[in-house]
Amino acid sequence: MSKVVEISPTTRHEGHSKLVLKVNDQGIIETGNWCSITPVRGVEKLAVGKTPEQVPKIASRVCGICPIAHCLAATEAMEASIKCEIPNDAKMLRHILQLANRCHSIALHDILILPDFYIPGTETKINPFTAEEPVRSVAKRIQRLREIGQTIGQIAGGDCIHPRNTRIGGMYRNVSEQAKTKMYDLAKEGLTLSHQQAEFMIAVIRNYHNRDFVDVGGMKVPMPKTLGYHNQGYLATHAFYGSTSMDECPSWDINRFKEARPYDWYMGEMEVTLEEPKYPIGGTTKMGTKVNPQMEACTGIPMYDGQPVEVGPRARLVRYKNFDMKGTKGQNIAREMEYQDCFYEMIDCIDALNTSGKVVADYIPNGDGSLGWASNEAPRGTDVHIARVNDWKVQYFSMLVPTTWNFATCSKALEGAPWQLAEVIMRGYDPCVSCATHMIVLDEENKMIAQKLIQ
Amino acid sequence: MADKITVGYTHLSGCTGCTVALADNYAGLLTLLDKYVDLKYMPTLADARHIQQVDVSFVEGSVCINDKLAVEEIKETREKSAIVVALGGCACYGNITRFSRGGQQNQPAHEAYLPIGDLIKVDVYIPGCAPTPQMIRNVAVMAYLLLKGTKEQKDLATAFLTPLMKLAAAGTSACFCELMTNVINQGLCMGCGTCAAACPVNAITMEYGKPQGERDLCIKCGACYSQCPRSFFNTDVISQYEAINEAIMAALQ
Amino acid sequence: MGAELGNYKSCVSARSTDKELLKHAQDGGIVTSLFAFALEEGIIDGAIVAANKEFAAKYPSKCMMDNSNFDMIEPWRPIPAIVNTKAELIAAAGTKYNISPNVSLLKEATRSFGLDKIGIVGTPCQMQAVRKAQLYPIGMRDVGASIALAVGIFCMENFPYQSILQLVEDHAAMKLESVKKMEIGKGKFWVYGKRGQVVQLPLKITHKYEQPGCHVCLDYVANLADVSTGSVGSPDGWSTVMVRSKIGDSVWGKAMAAGCFETQPIEKVKPGLELVTKLANEKITKNKKTLEGRATFGVGKALRNPYI
Repeated sequence: MSKVVEISPTTRHEGHSKLVLKVNDQGIIETGNWCSITPVRGVEKLAVGKTPEQVPKIASRVCGICPIAHCLAATEAMEASIKCEIPNDAKMLRHILQLANRCHSIALHDILILPDFYIPGTETKINPFTAEEPVRSVAKRIQRLREIGQTIGQIAGGDCIHPRNTRIGGMYRNVSEQAKTKMYDLAKEGLTLSHQQAEFMIAVIRNYHNRDFVDVGGMKVPMPKTLGYHNQGYLATHAFYGSTSMDECPSWDINRFKEARPYDWYMGEMEVTLEEPKYPIGGTTKMGTKVNPQMEACTGIPMYDGQPVEVGPRARLVRYKNFDMKGTKGQNIAREMEYQDCFYEMIDCIDALNTSGKVVADYIPNGDGSLGWASNEAPRGTDVHIARVNDWKVQYFSMLVPTTWNFATCSKALEGAPWQLAEVIMRGYDPCVSCATHMIVLDEENKMIAQKLIQ
Repeated sequence: MADKITVGYTHLSGCTGCTVALADNYAGLLTLLDKYVDLKYMPTLADARHIQQVDVSFVEGSVCINDKLAVEEIKETREKSAIVVALGGCACYGNITRFSRGGQQNQPAHEAYLPIGDLIKVDVYIPGCAPTPQMIRNVAVMAYLLLKGTKEQKDLATAFLTPLMKLAAAGTSACFCELMTNVINQGLCMGCGTCAAACPVNAITMEYGKPQGERDLCIKCGACYSQCPRSFFNTDVISQYEAINEAIMAALQ
Repeated sequence: MGAELGNYKSCVSARSTDKELLKHAQDGGIVTSLFAFALEEGIIDGAIVAANKEFAAKYPSKCMMDNSNFDMIEPWRPIPAIVNTKAELIAAAGTKYNISPNVSLLKEATRSFGLDKIGIVGTPCQMQAVRKAQLYPIGMRDVGASIALAVGIFCMENFPYQSILQLVEDHAAMKLESVKKMEIGKGKFWVYGKRGQVVQLPLKITHKYEQPGCHVCLDYVANLADVSTGSVGSPDGWSTVMVRSKIGDSVWGKAMAAGCFETQPIEKVKPGLELVTKLANEKITKNKKTLEGRATFGVGKALRNPYI
């Protein structure tokens, strides 16, 4: 007989979400629903009627971990709608800013997943905040990497959490030669540290996934070799940056995109029939609690070619670098493999940056209501923003953010895993839940956004 | 360690940018956790799932009053914390959630958002979007001194925190308008340019030496007003800037 | 009273030993010389100063521009700018006597300018802003620890740009373009023309032109600066220098050791600290009265007091 277990709220990721799992007698997940329970602030709706300059600044604030992707995708969607080409040096500054954010975000994700793993060669799980070695040196390196990323972001983007330097038509300011030198120095230091960090993490990740059993709150849980496997496809729009509808060959196709609501995809009302007080920390939801993922989920289900897809580091590596490792292990390793490239790319962009070049377009049109979209590869995946700007007012705005793409895909990836490892699978997606709760469906009737949009 | 203060972190409708700001104390964060702060509850960084009894709660985000869980959480936070700190523009002043008006899938009824001060009594404000790592650090160290320090340290911490408590008492509304109504209209602006530097969205320029606010850019975070030297200036504390800065830096060594 | 001069470790009358630089400087060339020395020694890697249109035309990327049409920017309008060399410092030297929002560049200095060690010059209120930004960095992330040298200027009050225009063009009957230097001293507002003419205006004329926000200020000698300086108290061509903080002490000591300044004991010069104290007291007493007046300004309604 299947039983229902709920882990709520899930921890060590951004935002509020929960896992509702239907499991068999062996505790293996038959159906898993991962859903956001973050209140919907309605950024797409509140954007309507505002100026295209203000909306990206608000869009940035849907998420404090990948704000750069939102800010850039929103800005570039507006620019795509009004058909504004920005100067090359502004592009370089945006690239640097975007990579700097990824550098900090990977490090932050490392902090969040480390407690799942063991110090290699021991049976001790890692507490990233312990003052003891070898963990303390790793924690310091993580924080230094974050500091490097945030400082470079601050120079190129004005501020690193919510960038201040981006604007419609380019950037407010170019940087000085002195600032360029500082970015070089930091990037070179970051490159060395990222090598060490990626190596450490990959060793720790392999160690964990190669175990036959892992400990979860004192329970000995078998580790399947196929943890987190799914058969969904991958979507990525660039090896590191993004694409827009103004590109000669855009790498995303709005015609292949469709969106459904969780009502179609998630389970209906059920009652919790399995409760595990030992599950860390504070146990699972009480027996008898009513759950209803269909109604409670706060996001939509975006699809590409009619199915949910995976976005993120592995999707980028699969699409652009022939990476072929599946499952949670592959996903976490892919993220670490992007680390060095962050800095190699960044150094190339700093090389290409002319500090005396102009960074604002000469002419910024007011827009005629055309549809424009821009994708930005956030640390955790493809972030696509769609906009229509008419006469310097936003008529339509939509954000298809990475974790929204991943909600349904991850739900599939839960199948076949011991339920105690559901959070481990979920964390592999480096979820950013607050941003995920911002989708809208233009036409509630046919639940399809694309056809309407391209009319 | 018994002499640490216990700290909780409640995450409501915010973007986790405040959490990142806290983490952006880098190595200083590790020292804070080693010596002064026992982090009992924090959704992103710590593993605990439920709000706990603590000395100090930081609250990020505003409250969606159409979401039962959020309303329960803010009330529970107040009940279980000796000191509640509203962290960041959303918790203090609503910030971008002031613009929310609902109608969006999958919860079209999530339309009304309030700064936490409209639902509970808040003790200390840290405005700004994002708030700064240094401000969070200073408040954390001062909260530690207030609760665990000597008499002298308690006095200093009280003096330091007083203006932030007054901000909390003053209300839940702030944007560029506060610079106009409480500084310029009151004949207090002297054109130093602080507000323009503090604004996180480049909404303020200095025209002929006085602030011009692009109100279509302002996100209502309250940074410009609270950073302004003419919003509050507690001479007794700020004139000891050298000693206080040194003490904070030494505490984090 | 007694606190009117703030805390200071030492006080001298000083002037730069750089004769070339003195030609461009307001009084003793203290700010320019000290920043030039600090830049050369790597104590600071850039300084925020009040520059002008000519500077902005030459170094556009170093300025914080407002929304004015560039061609319409008037003479003597200060433009906050970041300087990295002595030549740039000299190009921006001299007191402008109207509001230059130097603090507006404080955050940007650490961002697109890439500075790690900022020098900033400003009025007493701007020094207050800088210290508040360090202690309560609400919107000033990663700024406080980068402030390496804050130099304050003695200040009785400041003027909006239009006030300077009216004082010079109406009262002194000179075009602003023709003015070489402005100065407040010996109880007068002095305007020096490029052709050598000098006009003096009694200070009572200037009062109506003062910035109202200055009337609640309780600091004359930039108590919160690392080093504060002004002409008052020292003979012509010299400046009074007060060294206040550890940073100030260290930088001033190094600059002295490097021979940047010649000094005289402040006790030996006329009019000396006595005048500084007198003026400081005048300002503080007058402005305390303003604050008291604000407390009972309306009918049962007060104007806001920023200090409580």
